[in-house]
Amino acid sequence: MTMRIGSRFAAQTALIPAMLIALVVYCGSTVWTVWISMTNSRMLPNNTFVGLRQYESLFGNERWIVSVQNLALFGVLFIVITLALGFLLAVLVDQRIRGEDWLRSVFLYPFSMSFIVTGLAWRWLLDPTLGIAKIAHDIGFEAVQFDWLVRQDRVIYTMLAAAVWHASGLVMAIMLAGLRGIDQEIWKATRIDGIPAWRTYIFVVVPMLKGSFATATILMATSVVRLYDLSVAMTNGGPGIASEVPAKFVMDNLFERQNIGLATAAATSMLITVIAVVAPLLYLQNRAAARAAR
Amino acid sequence: MFSRKYLLSCAAALALGAAGPAAAQTAEVIHWWTSGGESAAVKVFADQFAKAGGTWVDTAIAGGPNARTAAINRTIGGNPPTAMQFNTGKQFDELVENNLLADVDAVAAKQNWKGIIPPAILDAVMRNGHAYAVPINIHGQNWFFYSTAVFAKAGATEPKNWDDLFVQLDRVKAAGFIPLAFGDQKNWERNMFNTVLAGVGGAEGFTGMWGKRDQAFVKGPVFRKVAETYRRLKGYVDPASPGRNWNDSAALVIQGKAGMHIMGDWAKGEFTAAGQTAGKEYGCTVLSNGGGGYVMGGDVFAFPKPKNADVAKAQALLATTMMAPDTQIMFAQKKGSIPSRQDVDSSTLDICAQKAMKFVSDKSAQIPANELLSPPALTGAVEDIISAYWNDNSMTTDAFVAKVSSALASTL
Amino acid sequence: MRKHAKAFSAARLGIYGFLIISALFFLLPLYVMIVTSLKGMPEVRQGNLLSLPMAPTIAAWVKAWSSACTGLSCNGISVGFFNSVKILLPSVTASIAVGAVTGYALSLWRPRGAALLFGILMAVAFVPYQVFLFPLVRMFSFVGLNSSLPGIIVVHTIFGLPTMTLIFRNYFAGIPLELMKAARVDGAGFWRIFGTIMLPMAVPIIVVAIILQVTGIWNDFIFGLVFAGRENFPMTVQLNNVVNSTQGEREYNVDMAATILTALVPLAVYFISGRWFVRGIAAGAVKG
Repeated sequence: MTMRIGSRFAAQTALIPAMLIALVVYCGSTVWTVWISMTNSRMLPNNTFVGLRQYESLFGNERWIVSVQNLALFGVLFIVITLALGFLLAVLVDQRIRGEDWLRSVFLYPFSMSFIVTGLAWRWLLDPTLGIAKIAHDIGFEAVQFDWLVRQDRVIYTMLAAAVWHASGLVMAIMLAGLRGIDQEIWKATRIDGIPAWRTYIFVVVPMLKGSFATATILMATSVVRLYDLSVAMTNGGPGIASEVPAKFVMDNLFERQNIGLATAAATSMLITVIAVVAPLLYLQNRAAARAAR
Repeated sequence: MFSRKYLLSCAAALALGAAGPAAAQTAEVIHWWTSGGESAAVKVFADQFAKAGGTWVDTAIAGGPNARTAAINRTIGGNPPTAMQFNTGKQFDELVENNLLADVDAVAAKQNWKGIIPPAILDAVMRNGHAYAVPINIHGQNWFFYSTAVFAKAGATEPKNWDDLFVQLDRVKAAGFIPLAFGDQKNWERNMFNTVLAGVGGAEGFTGMWGKRDQAFVKGPVFRKVAETYRRLKGYVDPASPGRNWNDSAALVIQGKAGMHIMGDWAKGEFTAAGQTAGKEYGCTVLSNGGGGYVMGGDVFAFPKPKNADVAKAQALLATTMMAPDTQIMFAQKKGSIPSRQDVDSSTLDICAQKAMKFVSDKSAQIPANELLSPPALTGAVEDIISAYWNDNSMTTDAFVAKVSSALASTL
Repeated sequence: MRKHAKAFSAARLGIYGFLIISALFFLLPLYVMIVTSLKGMPEVRQGNLLSLPMAPTIAAWVKAWSSACTGLSCNGISVGFFNSVKILLPSVTASIAVGAVTGYALSLWRPRGAALLFGILMAVAFVPYQVFLFPLVRMFSFVGLNSSLPGIIVVHTIFGLPTMTLIFRNYFAGIPLELMKAARVDGAGFWRIFGTIMLPMAVPIIVVAIILQVTGIWNDFIFGLVFAGRENFPMTVQLNNVVNSTQGEREYNVDMAATILTALVPLAVYFISGRWFVRGIAAGAVKG
């Protein structure tokens, strides 16, 4: 019995570092951020209260609005495409093919490189006078006009291509792991029933991989909200403000523009949005877990 | 284990440093000059500082914002460098307000800055009657550089004013060259806009908009003309300009693919590196409708409050060295700028720099640069609007005027 | 030899076709980087991105590694390499240790405040961490951690915490409770169960954690810049200096060589341990 209490105590102590970080760093920073967003701080924080004026100025700011819209469009497409492509690649790699190890590494390696590193290569590939466009011209397709990188209405899709390249491999790894965990009996059963493989995948396997899809979605979603490097390295937000994203808005105002008040207002808005989405999900998950434990 | 060893070695170094006399003149300097020409210029400072008995510890971080982020965070975090670079202007305002910078009044008085530095540049380092930074050089931001070869082939001549500019651009265009080489990134879009603003709107317009946030000017006919002229320039850049680096644009002029390039005088570094000489392979001019109109900025070094007397000594030595006449001239040669001191022998500088010296000596020909007039928050907010206007053809001039006016009014 | 080998049918052709095309798409940027790094500047200027180098040279690599200039020091990015290693090893160890212990406590012991802590960590996982930069500078200056190796290690531990806790918590949550109960009946306490039972079982997920942290920490730029101090600037800071020099002619071949050199460590980790990565995830990280 004493042992139990000792262990309880140990468990509680073991949590201290994480608790400290969570309360002091995360919560402390958040409180500070929210407070500064209601001041007129510029380069250095000050405590001159201005109410919600920074928020008024934020939501009257065209660039912020464009950033948010970009993120929404990008986010939805990015998550859908990476999940679909990652799943497809995982299924194909799982067909007992030759060179599986090699292919897996090829699909996964982009995730190991930061965009600060690969952005330049992507810019070249998509440059209207170099890269893919030039190759098309050189092999005779003079009519090919591949200028998405410099078109305001298309530039976001070029970022999407690079982002999908970066993250699909990770989704594939998660899906592959899920597929390997599936009971092989299922395949026997469906084969006996004469169900074609593709139907089995869609109607049997996908529902079984619910957990993998959830993990992948969360990971992809976190990288969407944090999207920053890609925009900086590939387009620096341009042409114009066509490929700006919220995290870049925060960073630019925090440092280069010496406008901490506005930056923290933007950060707070992002945080509120995230909490509004994450909290109910967590609550539901917790309830489900509690029910399962009962 | 590792970290403790490291800490110990640090402590040892500190102890040694405090004891040894040599350390008294050690200066760690944060700057963002990392390219070939810039490094050569910094080397002038380092060498001269060494000659004066100091040790230069170089912390170069590419990209102005990156370098300033590191420098400011270190200053706030209580571990400041000995000196840090800023652009001449308002970037260090709040460091002064929060009492984080040391003044350089002693050096300023000894070298008689008042008598030898153009007032606009000197004012930009003064706060409440004290000098808080060393204005090491002067950059002109609104130069037109053109390829003499391309101009000859196209039958174009050096433009004399803004109306003439379009005549010449048309000639270059007709001859099949890219008329205007442009690196289409936000800050260069703003710089080009500022070039038009200075040239067409004049000094009153320029300072009216950026400095006084003058609503009447922004809503008036002159500003409209500025905006329309700016947009007209878009007809002369090539479709691959978005996202291009400015030095790649300069290269287009150097290689004879484009006729003209609008840029600050640091672009000369590119021409020089390619073996070209001002007045021969390329020409330079500044355009305004009323004469003058030279947009003047530059670089400064500021000194965080020293932690002890040794650091203070090193800072004083560094400031004195940077402003010494021979350092000034050698630095300017490498950097493409002109010396901030007007009492030095500038005969060794190229002909563009000679033109610049003339502008700088004539107060009526000068306009203080964007960074001198507006805080970064405002500059940035308006830059976004300029960028949107340049890139989005569907944005009307009316909408542009309205947005600029609102940004001027609402930026805190 | 195996049975499926016979079925070189149209379907299998299609599978291979798709996989090979995808592989080419994935390899394209790396290919461009490698061939560019092997060209001389005159050839790079011609702008044939995809052509193989006519006269391959490793001059750019040598320059990037040992003589490319950043400011006044012309030692290439090699200095940063060792700094990065110096930062990497303790940071990876510390962040995984804290994450593993926290995940273990959260999933198997559920002490007081567990739900709250987990909620905070989940929310933070979605926040762009640049937001925390400024307050953290202030806090660090308060405790005297700025510009030091311990400082940057603590920073990486702080920002690795959400992901690390998440994956370890999920992993340990999948361990049969009976195992725990048996161990406790035997009289084992919190730390003994962790050390003798859980940790050995957690090897697959530790591999995943190592891979993620090595990648994240090695590629970090902004924390290294702000918190490490100039003596400890990681390789990415040097890379940024080489690649993003705002003025002067850009030596793309050197840029690309420097880029590949910087990416080499995480790349190697991925290519060597890709197999274990999938296995590790399969072992438990998937439980959402």
